[in-house]
Amino acid sequence: MKPLRIALTKGRLEKSTIELFEKIGYNCDEVHNKGRKLILPIGNNDFEVVLAKAADVITYVESGVCDLGVVGKDTILENGTSFYELLDLGFGKCKFALACKKDYDFYHGYGTKTIATKYPNVTRNFFENKNMDVRVIKIEGSVELAPLVGLADGIVDIVETGSTLKANNLEVIEDVTNISARLIANIASLKLRKKEIEELERKLEAAIE
Amino acid sequence: MKRNLKITPEGTKDYLFKECTAVNYVCRKIQTVFENHQFHQVFTPTFEYFDLFANDASGITAESMFKTTDNKGRIIVARPDSTLPIARMVSTRLQNEILPVRLFYKQNVFRNNPSLTGRSNEIMQMGVELIGSKGKRADLEVITTAIQSMQAISNDFRIEIGHSMLFNALADSLKASDDVKENIRVYIENKNYSALNNVLDNLQQDETVKAIRKLPSLFGSDEVFEKASQIIKCEEALKALEYLKDLYNELESLTLGEKIIVDLGLVQRNDYYSGIIFTGYVQGYGDAILSGGRYDKIFDIFDCSMGASGFAININHIAEQAKDKEKTNIPDVLVFAKNDCDIMKAISYTNELVNKGIKAQFSDLSDESDAREFAQKLGIAEFDVIGE
Repeated sequence: MKPLRIALTKGRLEKSTIELFEKIGYNCDEVHNKGRKLILPIGNNDFEVVLAKAADVITYVESGVCDLGVVGKDTILENGTSFYELLDLGFGKCKFALACKKDYDFYHGYGTKTIATKYPNVTRNFFENKNMDVRVIKIEGSVELAPLVGLADGIVDIVETGSTLKANNLEVIEDVTNISARLIANIASLKLRKKEIEELERKLEAAIE
Repeated sequence: MKRNLKITPEGTKDYLFKECTAVNYVCRKIQTVFENHQFHQVFTPTFEYFDLFANDASGITAESMFKTTDNKGRIIVARPDSTLPIARMVSTRLQNEILPVRLFYKQNVFRNNPSLTGRSNEIMQMGVELIGSKGKRADLEVITTAIQSMQAISNDFRIEIGHSMLFNALADSLKASDDVKENIRVYIENKNYSALNNVLDNLQQDETVKAIRKLPSLFGSDEVFEKASQIIKCEEALKALEYLKDLYNELESLTLGEKIIVDLGLVQRNDYYSGIIFTGYVQGYGDAILSGGRYDKIFDIFDCSMGASGFAININHIAEQAKDKEKTNIPDVLVFAKNDCDIMKAISYTNELVNKGIKAQFSDLSDESDAREFAQKLGIAEFDVIGE
């Protein structure tokens, strides 16, 4: 049987996921000494790990070249379409929030507001649910700059501690949604390899609690 | 102006040689199954009026259709699906036909998918429609046809079956707004347990909420029915469950073991399906390649009440897998006419060889050394020259 292939989001989520895998008894030495290898066997070769950028994890899982993936809810909300979201892994916790300059009355007046963000889909959905028309501008770098230089009235961004906001005289006016790492599965894989995936899911779930 | 002369639009592609043989091979296999079950082929137009698909029951969003207008300014679409056109056809052209009718189709459907996802916007589909009958006999006939089609094209496949009334009945007895119910449906469809639990936590905790919480995890073999019957109290839903169990037990006689799965979390296009739902998967492809079920409601659009069930198979994806097994078609003999006066003789000679079952090809090059080089490059073993 082919090993189950799991795509992990490089960086912090990768580290926490590997810790979790080790907690349930899978040997992850190959990942620790990965060098330049991109596909790494773990456990008793029952699984192999692929490291990828967050949005690519979704692409790999959706297309079925990877059976499972670990990715942040932020990426799922922004890019996700069709896969199964099986488990909240409990780490990588933060939130999406709407922020603007301190003492700025965001909801005042009838003018259409401008929002700068790295997450245009999340932003659009958030304001659509409020039946509010906004102009969304996509920014690639430090979004906090946009309201300071007058490009936008507010920003929608990931907030962890809020210290960057504070340092720039910005404040959260509303939480959009909470974020954490999720285990996702390809739709066909879950049907074709149900037993293996469910077993892993059960083990992980037990290890989280 | 930049002109797009040398590329095809996103989501479309050319099919060459082996790719075509693979498509034809897969189609032939499936067509044999359809014809053995006495389904008869129909074609419907590539274009239909937008109105045909512009209702909730179609389960197709307006933005996923390719639209243009006819010469009176009415919106027409490249058909995104073959079932509604066939229902239109049956309710008008076949109204006096003896029912039930068994129809099958082999035609392309068009979907305007989001860009850069690698999905095909033009998909060849083969499917059947069994129209004018309801109940267990019709359902089993359609599912069996689906299973046999899958068997004809793949050794490693799964068919999962569910029932749309299971969720619909539970949702009806749920004390929540329609928007919340739709969210719940989407979370069940995506097996998004955490989001589902979050929404359900905000509702009054009753038997229905308890049952819905478990719905996405209720898939597998017959143990599912026992688990489900313990947590589902809603009478309508229990009736659907009972019916599904009956079908599943009947299908056991095909001895396909774990190739047939029950999934009570099958809730897709729930405004469209009104009874059983089933989906097919093959090893090596990440999405469903077959989907179908019972959709009696679609005939309400045409003001006639009729049972309707069927399924569609996406051919391109299976053909993709089959193409490596296909041999490239290289002729055995290349026939060359030495002079212009020998051309007809050479063509007749080629035909003679072909009629004998030899793969012969007439060379349309006029220079002998060019023709020899062509044969050599392609690996054609024999080179026959006609004329002095």
